[in-house]
Amino acid sequence: MVTREVDGLSLSPTAGDLHLSEGTDGSSWRAKAALVQSQAVAVLTREAGTGGPGPDAVKAEYATLVRAAADGDRVAMERLLMRAQEVAFRFSLLACGHEADAEDVMQDALLKTYQHVSRIADPDAFRTWLYTTVRNSCLMKRRRRAGEPVRFESIEQGAPAAGGEDAPIDIADRTPGVDQKLIDEWADERLRAALKQLPPAYRIIILLREMEGLPTKEVAAITGYSEANVKTRLRRARLMLRRELTGGEP
Amino acid sequence: MKPGCRQILKEISAYLDGELEIAACATIERHCADCASCAAVVDGLKQTAGLCRQLGTTPLPLPVLERARASVRRLLENSTTGDE
Repeated sequence: MVTREVDGLSLSPTAGDLHLSEGTDGSSWRAKAALVQSQAVAVLTREAGTGGPGPDAVKAEYATLVRAAADGDRVAMERLLMRAQEVAFRFSLLACGHEADAEDVMQDALLKTYQHVSRIADPDAFRTWLYTTVRNSCLMKRRRRAGEPVRFESIEQGAPAAGGEDAPIDIADRTPGVDQKLIDEWADERLRAALKQLPPAYRIIILLREMEGLPTKEVAAITGYSEANVKTRLRRARLMLRRELTGGEP
Repeated sequence: MKPGCRQILKEISAYLDGELEIAACATIERHCADCASCAAVVDGLKQTAGLCRQLGTTPLPLPVLERARASVRRLLENSTTGDE
């Protein structure tokens, strides 16, 4: 097979059809890939305004929810808090790759969002704040994992309540980590495995751009990279992910 | 590798994101029409992006969703009680 190297990545002329597996799950994977291929162009051109709700529309939805929640709309607050937890779940599992931390990171996102909403000066900046907060929470978990007890002991404090800014509040249900079987059903195991093979700095770009659909500028704000750097990393990350999905075949 | 493959691969991400000028897009498309390996890379990247996007919009697993809802309820109920 002829292979070639571009920017340190080996590319194969036969790998692009996502011929991924001779194993038992190969056919379902291929079928899924074929099924979503039609969505891909729309996905990839969302920023050009040719797809479904673009990143600006989603950002505006967040801002609307933040304003309503800050004005006391309970339904808006509930939706916002659920969204924050969804973001935290995906991010923790897919970007940080630590299944055991997912629910702790969700709880952290829940509390911080609740605390932040009433104080936010610019609702349009909420989404960037949320992803930055979740990213930092994952990083904290990783640091703690390196040398400290695993559980996130700050979960049960910090929510505003009568009698003080940081009075204890019991929102955490001491559940075990997310069940592995649930994760396997939720996210294709092969895609998760491929993501894990990417260096973290590339994985986070794929997650924010491809899965969450954030624009380059916002990804740059969240990660601290320049926009040019985000684009460079995105290109390499896409090629790396494709290579991993083709079973390591270059 | 054919002449132009390296340049195509450098621009492939911008192409997929719709960031290139029409003329540059046409160059890539002409090249891919004549280069099976670059065409395969483009198709593969589109499929990969589609899979990622699908995962990005997949709802949380039901038990996780239920625990998330319960956490929201507890937080809002506790804060309401605290306000009274």
